[in-house]
Amino acid sequence: MNNMTLYVQRDSPVHRVDPLTKLLFVFISIASTYLVSDHLVVLGILLFTFAILLTGKVFKSILPVIGVSFLLIASIIIVQGFFHPDRTTVLFEVGPFSIYKEGFSIAFLITLRVVNMVSAFGVLILTTKPDDLVEALLQKGLSPRFGYVLLSVLQIIPQMVALTGKITDAQRARGMETEGGLWMRFKSFLPLLGPVVLNSLTETRERSIALEIRGFNRKGKRTFLNETEDYRYGIPLRIALVAFFITVIVWRVIS
Amino acid sequence: MSVLRLENLKYKYPASSRFALNDISFTVEKGEFVGIVGMNTAGKTTLCYALSGLVPHFFKGAYGGDVYIGDMDVLTHEISEITANVGLVFENPFSQMTGAKFTVYDEIAFGLENQGIPRDVMHERIRESMRLLDIEELQEKNPFSLSGGQMQRVAIASVIAMKPDVLILDEPTSQLDPEGTEEVFHVIEKLAQEGMTIIMAEQKMEKLAEYADRILLMHNGKLIEDGTPEEIFSRDDLNDFGVEPPVYAKIARTLGMRDDATGLYPISLTQMPANLDIQFAPEVESRLKEKDTAELIVRNLHFGYEKGQDVINGLNVSLQGEPIAIIGQNGAGKTTFVKLLKALLKPDAGEIELDGTLISKTTAAALASRIGLIFQNPNDQIFKNTVIDEVMFGPLNIGQSKEEALANANKMLTLVGLLEKADENPYDLSLAERKMVAMASILAMNTDVVIFDEPTIGQDSRGKAKVKEIIDLLYEQGKLVICILHDMDFVAETFGRTIIFSNGKMLFDGLTRTAFAQEEALRIARVEQPHITKLVRSLGYEQIVLKESEFLARSTAGN
Repeated sequence: MNNMTLYVQRDSPVHRVDPLTKLLFVFISIASTYLVSDHLVVLGILLFTFAILLTGKVFKSILPVIGVSFLLIASIIIVQGFFHPDRTTVLFEVGPFSIYKEGFSIAFLITLRVVNMVSAFGVLILTTKPDDLVEALLQKGLSPRFGYVLLSVLQIIPQMVALTGKITDAQRARGMETEGGLWMRFKSFLPLLGPVVLNSLTETRERSIALEIRGFNRKGKRTFLNETEDYRYGIPLRIALVAFFITVIVWRVIS
Repeated sequence: MSVLRLENLKYKYPASSRFALNDISFTVEKGEFVGIVGMNTAGKTTLCYALSGLVPHFFKGAYGGDVYIGDMDVLTHEISEITANVGLVFENPFSQMTGAKFTVYDEIAFGLENQGIPRDVMHERIRESMRLLDIEELQEKNPFSLSGGQMQRVAIASVIAMKPDVLILDEPTSQLDPEGTEEVFHVIEKLAQEGMTIIMAEQKMEKLAEYADRILLMHNGKLIEDGTPEEIFSRDDLNDFGVEPPVYAKIARTLGMRDDATGLYPISLTQMPANLDIQFAPEVESRLKEKDTAELIVRNLHFGYEKGQDVINGLNVSLQGEPIAIIGQNGAGKTTFVKLLKALLKPDAGEIELDGTLISKTTAAALASRIGLIFQNPNDQIFKNTVIDEVMFGPLNIGQSKEEALANANKMLTLVGLLEKADENPYDLSLAERKMVAMASILAMNTDVVIFDEPTIGQDSRGKAKVKEIIDLLYEQGKLVICILHDMDFVAETFGRTIIFSNGKMLFDGLTRTAFAQEEALRIARVEQPHITKLVRSLGYEQIVLKESEFLARSTAGN
């Protein structure tokens, strides 16, 4: 078994970019889509994010995540499409219900923003080793406790998946039917939640003992094993990102 | 000055009314190797926590008396200061990895980074401790991808790198297979020779007899005796404390070989008198009455987690009759095999028949009322909030009425000795107790076949005796019992039939006595003979002896 992370090991220029620059990218990419309400610009930003994912050879890994977020997106489209307060123009009708253009337009914008947010985080998480990210932040003065929490959050989804598998086995072994149709699976999913959370908590306690005995809570100066290798294009990339962001803000203010 | 000094240490966990440690005093000098023995509730782990500051700083609770590490008072210093001087290694290798680092090299660095050690010193120390622990070739590996024995060595390397004055090991091999156990003991021996002060709680008495300068015998939080291994293991009342003496002392006791001058028994091979003449009476009859049980027939079974990599490779076997032990190294496919029997996995090819009906096509849930499987790690099995709910979950699922399920659950909890804890949360129990809860929860389903995966891990000698009693009882009720084991002494004591597993195949299937004579098969499967068998061999006898009761008498020439 491996450490469970979402990180995808590849050799790509995106992987070589330093974590902090990627973090800055995530922030600016998401913030820009919310500052701007022009569909085309937002679409442009999204396509750019997609392009980075493609360069990083991790585009495939983001698709399931976007798939999951479509549940949210669908509900946005329905709510906005039917009930947007400025609804006047009927776009099309589904039986007795009308979808309005204004609402649909807003819903479409929100969809773009959500997909871009998921993808931008994807750039960071799929192409950066979690420990590199956290170490970069620690060296910038982030508290180690917070860094550790962040690291755990990054690992929590795959860990839950693994644990769920184990507990499902335990339940099947004792006569609980989990195989079968969608409804059966859904029914057997609910009793899983309690033990999964409980089990994680137990593991957390043991882990925190492990951290304690390695002096994790020591006050005083820490050192780092690895020197931070300065990424060659880090500064120019960051300048470009910030310049873009300023342009967006200025454009937003004057338009 | 002594490295460690305890004066009248008393401690209670929060929300507990009994002293986990009760008036403990002793000192440890530099370079000493001190063993701690006692049953599971004796307070060994708590003592280890107290020596490393986790008690009272992490666990809180009521604390009295003094613990000094060198001249540092544990009570007034923080854990991080204490752990700079005391390294602690505990049972579960998995939960000792920080999870914050992704290579072995970085994992070892974790503690050093926290201590603020300069970078060049750090590299030097990491390399040094990797060399000492023999894990240099693992440095780029992910800690979680390692075997238990390797992980435990990484855990030791991680604390050794912090240069503690004392190394405390709390049953470091109790969750490892025989090979992992050997790896770990090998490095502990090396550390001891290098002059490291070591304190080790352990159930494997043969090892303590070999290494320890002194042994602390604990019971119910009290220090019963602080003496040499010979003194401790020659006590006649050891059994009252749930401690079994090492096999040499046990045999010497059976044969009445007490040293006339000191009144002590020999505890190692070198101390055994050379001119022995021992008679043996191997038990020919099975110790259990023959019973009809359910029958599992396996034909040409194949299974792999990944295509082209068979974990189970063309297995043919018929399982019925007296309890069967399955032995072999980790990764040999034993757990995979029993998961296939239980239909938790689907075979790639071949079939499994239970009393004439094919089971490979049914679901695990549908089989639940016929085959019970007790997982190796109880944490993978337990998921309810009270012990009684946990034990009743299976019976209710297979259609027992509420009253029936409750009656069955109570009966099984009585059997495993946990009835008074029925309303507690399983997560508040010890590992050994959780294993018993997991066992009761399967037994309450009253299945025709019961499969145990490593039931003796983490159990003290009383727990093991209980497991043996349960296995015998199940067979007496006409159930088929299959048991995966790493504890060869337990196999020799309990099972008439043994299967040796290696690389997804059976190397041997037959009488246990014959199994332990298969030196070649044992070597390939990387399992050792039981201690008693090895002892008899090393004394120069040809027989395969499995139990103490097979020793008859001795006549010494010229003594």
